[in-house]
Amino acid sequence: MEKIYIFKRFERFWHWTQALLIIVMMITGFEIHGTYSNLGFERAVELHTLSAWALITLWVFAIFWHFTTGEWKQYVPTMDKVEAMMRYYLTGIFSHAPHPFRQTTLHKHNPLQRLAYLFVKLMINPLIWATGLLYLFYTSWESWGLGWLNLEWVATAHVIGAFMMLIFFIAHIYLATTGHKPMSHIKAMITGWEEID
Amino acid sequence: MFTIDRVIAPVLGIAFALALAVSSPVIATATPLAEAEKGAVAEIEQAIEGAVVKVAGEDEKAAAESIQSVPAPKQVAVEEPVEEKSKSTADHSKFEELDIDFKSGPQVTKACLKCHTEAAKQIHKTKHWSWEYINPDTGQKLGKKHVINNFCTSVKSNNTFCSACHIGYGWADDSFDFTAEANVDCLVCHDTTGTYKKLPGLSGHPNYETIEWPPHSGKFRPPTDLKQVAQNVGPTSRKTCGTCHFYGGGGDAVKHGDLDSSLTNPGRYLDVHMDSKGLNFTCSTCHVTDEHEVSGSRYGPTAADEKGVLVPGSQDPRNPTTCVACHGNTPHPDKAAKLNDHTRKLACQTCHIPAYARSTLQTKMSWDWSTAGKLDEQGHRIQLKNSAGKVVYDSKKGNFTYDRYVVPEYQWFNGKVNYTLFGDKVSEDSVVKINEFQGDADDPEARIWPVRVFRGKQMYDKGLQTLAVLHTAGKDDAAFWGNYDWDKAMEVGMRTAGSEYSGELGFVSTEMSWPITHMVSPKEDALACESCHTDGGRLAGIDGIYLPARDRMPLLDMIGFGVALLALIGVLIHGGIRVILAKRED
Amino acid sequence: MWKAVMGFIAGIALLGIVGFNTAGSFMMVEHESPFGIEETAARIQANIQRMGHRGWTLSGLRDPSKAVANSGRNVPPVLLVEACSTDYSGVLLADDQARILSIMMPCTITVYKKDDGKTYIGTMNSALMGRLFGKKVAAVMNEVAKDQAEFLKFDPNQPAPPLIKVKPGGGGAGGPEVSGC
Repeated sequence: MEKIYIFKRFERFWHWTQALLIIVMMITGFEIHGTYSNLGFERAVELHTLSAWALITLWVFAIFWHFTTGEWKQYVPTMDKVEAMMRYYLTGIFSHAPHPFRQTTLHKHNPLQRLAYLFVKLMINPLIWATGLLYLFYTSWESWGLGWLNLEWVATAHVIGAFMMLIFFIAHIYLATTGHKPMSHIKAMITGWEEID
Repeated sequence: MFTIDRVIAPVLGIAFALALAVSSPVIATATPLAEAEKGAVAEIEQAIEGAVVKVAGEDEKAAAESIQSVPAPKQVAVEEPVEEKSKSTADHSKFEELDIDFKSGPQVTKACLKCHTEAAKQIHKTKHWSWEYINPDTGQKLGKKHVINNFCTSVKSNNTFCSACHIGYGWADDSFDFTAEANVDCLVCHDTTGTYKKLPGLSGHPNYETIEWPPHSGKFRPPTDLKQVAQNVGPTSRKTCGTCHFYGGGGDAVKHGDLDSSLTNPGRYLDVHMDSKGLNFTCSTCHVTDEHEVSGSRYGPTAADEKGVLVPGSQDPRNPTTCVACHGNTPHPDKAAKLNDHTRKLACQTCHIPAYARSTLQTKMSWDWSTAGKLDEQGHRIQLKNSAGKVVYDSKKGNFTYDRYVVPEYQWFNGKVNYTLFGDKVSEDSVVKINEFQGDADDPEARIWPVRVFRGKQMYDKGLQTLAVLHTAGKDDAAFWGNYDWDKAMEVGMRTAGSEYSGELGFVSTEMSWPITHMVSPKEDALACESCHTDGGRLAGIDGIYLPARDRMPLLDMIGFGVALLALIGVLIHGGIRVILAKRED
Repeated sequence: MWKAVMGFIAGIALLGIVGFNTAGSFMMVEHESPFGIEETAARIQANIQRMGHRGWTLSGLRDPSKAVANSGRNVPPVLLVEACSTDYSGVLLADDQARILSIMMPCTITVYKKDDGKTYIGTMNSALMGRLFGKKVAAVMNEVAKDQAEFLKFDPNQPAPPLIKVKPGGGGAGGPEVSGC
C-alpha cells in the first residue's frame, strides 16, 4: 500500500469549514423556507446570514489560493475515462475491479469528481450566492435598478440552488466512502494523505 | 455478531430501561442526609420557606383581587391617579370670576371666556364640536353627525343621549345653535376633580339637580358642584379624554378595543408610552393640539409616513400622531437592521401591538340588533349575562359577544376609507362594510395594519335599501328603548334622517374596521418573527407579498425533496450491496 | 461482546434522551376550547359541581396572569380552576408512600389564551402520572382521569354559567373551613 500527500493544509481547512457552513446553512435555510421549525425563525435567519458572510469570506481566500497555486487546473473538465468511472460505480466496485483512475498530486480528482465539482463551483454556488445576496438586500433593488425583480422568483431560484446542494451533499458523502477502504478518502481529507492501491 | 451488536443489544437496553422506569416508583427516593449536612439544609429550607410564604401571600392577594374584579373590573383597572401638583402659573381657585355658585354649564363657560376670549371661537372650528368631517379624497360627509355605525348605530334622533359626549351644552335636536359661544363645554375636557359627569339624556349637561343614576337603581347622584370643578380646571389628561373615548359605544371598553379605562393609569405592559410609573404620556403628548383642534383622526388617518421624524417646531402639516413622527422609519438598532426593512410593508402597530384589550376589561366583539325587543312574560326588559358577568343579551340592544386579549385581523391599508352612508344602497345578499379600508400590496402608500373588525347585524329599511336610523333613546313614546316598538321607532328615526320609512324592516350583516394603534406593548412583547413567518401565521390572509416560511412552491419542494430522497435511497442500496458483499467475503 | 455492551448502553441512552424530551408532552394534555377564557372556566366549574356525587367540590379559582401584570409584565390571560375530591385525596393521603402526591392537590385545570388568540385547556395526564407511583395510586389516578374527562365535556346548548369565585384554599368536601384537600 502506498500513501501520497494530496490535500494541503489550506485546502483541508477550506473543505471542512465549508462543509460545516454548508450544513448549518442547509439546516437554517430549510427552516427559513418553512420546512420545519427548530431554532426559531429569527435565530435561523441570523445564523444563515452569518454563515453566508463567513462562507463568502472563505471563498475569497479559496479563489485566491486556487489561482496563486494553480490548483484551479484540478477542475478542468475532461471526458476521458468518464464512462469507465460510471461503469466502475455501477458494477466494478462490487467485484473489486481495479479503479479506473489513479490519483496523483497533479490529478487528485477523478473525471467524475472534476465534472461534479466544476458544476458546483460554476452553477450551484453562483446561483445560491447571487440569489442569496439579492434576497439579503431586497430593499435596495430599486436603487440598483433591479426594481423589476420579484422576491418570489429570487427566493424560488435560491431554493432550487439549495436542493441541488442537498443532492450533491448526499452523493458526495456517500462517494467519500468508496475509496481504497471506506474511510480512506475521509482520512485523506483530514490528514492530507491518501491511501491508494 | 452483526445482529447482536446492532439490533438485539440496543433493543434490550431500551427494554431494560423501560422496565426500570415502570417498576420503580419515583417517590421512593428519599435519600437520608448525612448528619453534618442536615443543619445547613434546615437553615436553607427555613430561608426559602420564608421567601416562598411572602411571595405566595402576594400572589394570592393579587389573584383574589383579579377574581373579584371579574364582575366589577373597574375597581382594579381604574386606580386613582397619583396627585400631582399643578405646574400652571395660574391658580384658578383664586380667580374672582370663578368664585360664583354656578347654576349651569353655560354660566361657567361665560366666566371662562372672560379671560380665554378666543377659546370658544377655536372650539367652534373643531371636529369635537361639529361632529362633522368632510373627507377631502371622497367628499363623503363623515363624523358622528353623519355616520351610521354598527354599535348604537346613529346619533340622529338620539341627541339627548348621545350628546353626553359632545363638548357642548344643549344639543337635543337640529335646532341647536352651533355658533353660541356659551354652548361650549370647557369643563368636560379640563376638569381635574373627576366629579364632572355628563349623563345620557341631559343633552350634554351635567346634572344640576339630584338624579337617580343609573335609572331605577335606587342610587342618587347629587348635583354637580360646578364651582368646585371650575376652580380646579387644568390640562387635559388620560382621564378627561377617556371620559368619552374609553366609554364609546355605551360602556367601558366597548367600542375601540384599544381604548378603555385601564389606560387611565396603565402599567408599562399595557402601554409603554402611557405607563403611569414611566413615560406617563397623556393623550395629547401624541395628539398634539393646535388652537384646540386635536390631531390624529380615524376619519383621515395616516397609514404610512415615508418622511420620517417630524421635528418639533416644523411647519410641515403632517400628522404628528404617527409612530414615525417620533421614531422615524428606521427605529431599530443596527444589530436588528432586518427589522427596519419591514417598515416598507408593515405598520409599526402590526408587531408592536400584539393584541388589544389587554387588561381585565372585556371589549365587545359583535352586536346583533335583530334579536332586540324580546320581553319576558310580564313585558319587562330582559338582561342575560355571560360567565364574566357581562350582559350578552339586552332587550334594548340584542345580543353581544365579548373578548379580551384579542388578536387583531390584518389587512392592507393606505389611509383611505370608504363609508357606507345613509342612503347608500345595501342588501342582505352581502356583508355591508360600514367603512372599508383601501389599499393593496402594490400601493406604495399601503402598509399591513392590525385591524379590529367589529361585526354586527343591524336595522335597514328594506324598501329604501338603506341602513336605517332608529330612534333608540329619548323620553317620548316612540323611542325603542322605552317601548320596544320597531315601526314607531323607525318612523321617527328615518324621518329625522330625512327619509320616510318604507314600513319594511330588515337586518343586514355589517362590518366596521378600526385601526389598532393604542396599547403599544414594550419592545420585549412585540411579535416574534415566527408569528408571521410560518404556515397559518398572523399574516396568513395577506396577499401580494412573498413571505418567507409562509410561501413556497409545493411542486418545487416535492421535486427537490423527492430527488434528494431518491439519491439517499440510491446510495443506501449501493452501500448496502457493498456491505453485504464485504460480509460474504469475510 | 464489547460492542454488545456498548449497544445496550446506547439503547438506554437513546430511550433516555427521547423520553426526557417528550415526557412533558405526555404528562400534560392541551385541548382547544370552543369558548372564551371565562366561559370555559365557568363551564368546567359547572361540570365539576355536577360531579359532586364523586366527592368533587371547587377549591379555588386563580388568575396568575394578573399577578404578573401587577409586576409590570404582559401575559395572556390564564385562569386556574381548582377542584378536589376527598374520595380520592383521602386514599392517597392515608398512604405514607403516596402522601407526597399532595403536592399536586388540589387538582388543577388551567384555561389560557395563546398567541393565536384561541383559548386552550390544559390538564395533567393523571392516568399516566398515577402509573409512575404503583398500583394503588394508579387505580385512584385512573378514576381521577375519568372524572377529569367528564369535566371537559361541554354542552354548547346550555347557556354560559356564571364564573364561581372560590377563594383559593377554601372549599373541599370537608366544608369551607377545610383548607384545600
